[in-house]
Amino acid sequence: MAKPIKFDESCDNEDLQSLFDSIAAGSEVPLQAAKETPPAVDASGDSDDLQALFDSVSAQVGESDTASQEQPVKHAQVEGSEPGSVFSSLGQMTRELHDTLRELGHDKILGDAARTIPDARQRLSYIIQMTEQAASRALNAIDIAKPIQEEMQARSEALGARWGKVFANQLSADEFKLLATDTHAFLNAVPQQAEATNAQLTEIMMAQDFQDLTGQVVKKVIELVENLETQLLRVLIEAKPPELHVEAPEGMLNGPVINADGRSDVVTSQSQVDDLLESLGF
Amino acid sequence: MTDPSKIKFLVVDDFSTMRRIVRNLLKELGYTNAEEAEDGAVALQKLQAGTYDFVISDWNMPNMDGLQLLQAVRADPALKHLPVLMITAEAKKENIIAAAQSGASGYIVKPFTAGTLNDKLVKIFEKLGQA
Repeated sequence: MAKPIKFDESCDNEDLQSLFDSIAAGSEVPLQAAKETPPAVDASGDSDDLQALFDSVSAQVGESDTASQEQPVKHAQVEGSEPGSVFSSLGQMTRELHDTLRELGHDKILGDAARTIPDARQRLSYIIQMTEQAASRALNAIDIAKPIQEEMQARSEALGARWGKVFANQLSADEFKLLATDTHAFLNAVPQQAEATNAQLTEIMMAQDFQDLTGQVVKKVIELVENLETQLLRVLIEAKPPELHVEAPEGMLNGPVINADGRSDVVTSQSQVDDLLESLGF
Repeated sequence: MTDPSKIKFLVVDDFSTMRRIVRNLLKELGYTNAEEAEDGAVALQKLQAGTYDFVISDWNMPNMDGLQLLQAVRADPALKHLPVLMITAEAKKENIIAAAQSGASGYIVKPFTAGTLNDKLVKIFEKLGQA
């Protein structure tokens, strides 16, 4: 059995941890500076492209500072207008989000939230590993036990048929002697085979121990996701223009339906699948 | 019906466990001749290179998903006659209809039972016999 992944509660992955640290450290200083003198963001060491974008946005913001109520109109313009205004609108939104986050202290919260993601990812990988192992263990045990059972079944059926002939008086004395020897050999072999099967049944049972482990890990991940959701929701509610209603994209690859309550767009049984197809003439 | 062990199956799923379970179920039903592919792209290659009689495919897979595989099979003159049975966790009506319209021979929602698989296989073979 492979060793389970070891969890380190404090830091998941040194590289990622140091990346996060550098981002967290890098964002605090320039933020302070930006508070006093907005154009002095050069100190942050941003890339040239970003800097250029930021500059163009700053200029734009300078012009429209008084007209910040025009926002919805600006968003509306994005559709179908020339590329330049798309970038400036996008830049403006980024700037607004950035400012809001800083004012509300959410940059810290988002940093914390992002830090939990590698942890969750590692835990989920652990679940895949454990469940795959369990499935393989059970299937291996079945592969071993099935032939044993099939052989016992075949041998007992054959012996049973021959004993049937004994009771029908169709067997000679010599044949009967041979049958007695075969039956004895079979009876001697059965306990050993039954024991072998039993060992495989125990193995299948033991393979289910993953449930306990993965269950705990899943609970932990649910907690992490809940935290993340709460934090992101707070940021979204406070930073997003109210008229921007985002709907989650729904495609064809949704995986298993976790909760079908109150949903009419999914089927919950094979018979519903069959009924639907039949109703469509397939 | 022909000898079930003569019918060559291709089981397509990105999870080895599921491929193994489907193959074991097929074996119990007497269909002992089955091969595996881990996604639609590999499956299509195998189908084009070999002689298969039946495809059982998952939907959600990397590289090429089950619906794309189904569409590719139906678009290929050498393969379009192949029965394709979808076994998938995708349970939206939209999915089922899309699969049927693309020419799926049957649709089974996971988790499924050996009985369901047998029913669908029998039904598909009956239809093939009529055709």
